[in-house]
Amino acid sequence: MSTQSYFPVPPGVGMEENFLSLDDILLSHERLPVRTECSFPRLGFLERSSDAHDIPEGTKMELPLWLSKGLYERKRKVLSVDLPKVYKEGWRTVFTADPCVVDLHKMGPYYYGLGSQILHFDSPENSDIAQALLQTFIGRFRRTMDSSQNAYNEDTSALVERLDSLEKALFR
Amino acid sequence: MDPSEVEFLAEKELVKIIPNFSLDKIFLIGGDLGPFNPGLSVDVPLWLALNLKQRQKCRILPPDWMDVEKLEEMRALERKEDAFTPVPSLYYMEITKLLLNHASDNIPKADEIRTLVKDIWDTRIAKLRLSADSFINQQEAHAQLDNLTLMEINTTREFLLDSLNFMFKLRSNLQPGSSKGQLTDY
Repeated sequence: MSTQSYFPVPPGVGMEENFLSLDDILLSHERLPVRTECSFPRLGFLERSSDAHDIPEGTKMELPLWLSKGLYERKRKVLSVDLPKVYKEGWRTVFTADPCVVDLHKMGPYYYGLGSQILHFDSPENSDIAQALLQTFIGRFRRTMDSSQNAYNEDTSALVERLDSLEKALFR
Repeated sequence: MDPSEVEFLAEKELVKIIPNFSLDKIFLIGGDLGPFNPGLSVDVPLWLALNLKQRQKCRILPPDWMDVEKLEEMRALERKEDAFTPVPSLYYMEITKLLLNHASDNIPKADEIRTLVKDIWDTRIAKLRLSADSFINQQEAHAQLDNLTLMEINTTREFLLDSLNFMFKLRSNLQPGSSKGQLTDY
């Protein structure tokens, strides 16, 4: 019964993020592979692999989501974002083949959330990614439902650890 | 909704008891009860029947549907049909559980009845799961399920609603050109 005076803010809908939602804040810490389109003078310390003073144009590095979203411009003068492995064609076929087998927690605990945010970055594969997310969830639904509604006497952690954080919230 | 809330609602159902005390008619907010005469059967709500039984002031008579042959027929019918069959009482699960826990000495063949009711429950829950699964898989817009009891709906309500909410979120990704990342002000 919701008679509590503390209502946690839930994650945002689709491509939106809720500013005050803890899940969204943690989600935005995930790193994305990024290619710089212009040089960043005197910011060499951001990139651990080289000791250069500046970051020249065309460097490949990893930036967290919140920074990438802020720097991304439609005219694409600053950054271009690549898709992480898990959202690329190869993995998408794995998901369509059998969604239940995959360990979504290992793929990044915020698979669905991050996938929704990536759609901001105007990749040509956007609609495929969105479809794949939906189909993966639907495929895993049955397994999640069955395991959440039965009281197991033994430890459920082996099941729960393969779930994405959003599915874990459903599992409760 | 908690299962204990559903059980609370179930306790309003009427059952027949045979009291061993006498009392005039009593006037409660929910309705009138009585008069109680020893040896004569009277209809009372389940909560009162259980209370009297625990104080050893009555004998509970099992409801008409709580009979081995009838339940066996119902179980066979449930297994044969794909849809949900009409149910003996809207709160059959709770009534069975409460009566068998507190008054099993008044109910003939209590163990068989327990097994039969559990079988009926399992079959119905399995059908419910199958139905929810196909609903989600085919992303249908609406479904109709007849003859479901509150307890069964309650088991799946929270999970199904949360999943549908989440699917809505994922589906809203498919519409391009929705507002591009303007953070809302709180």
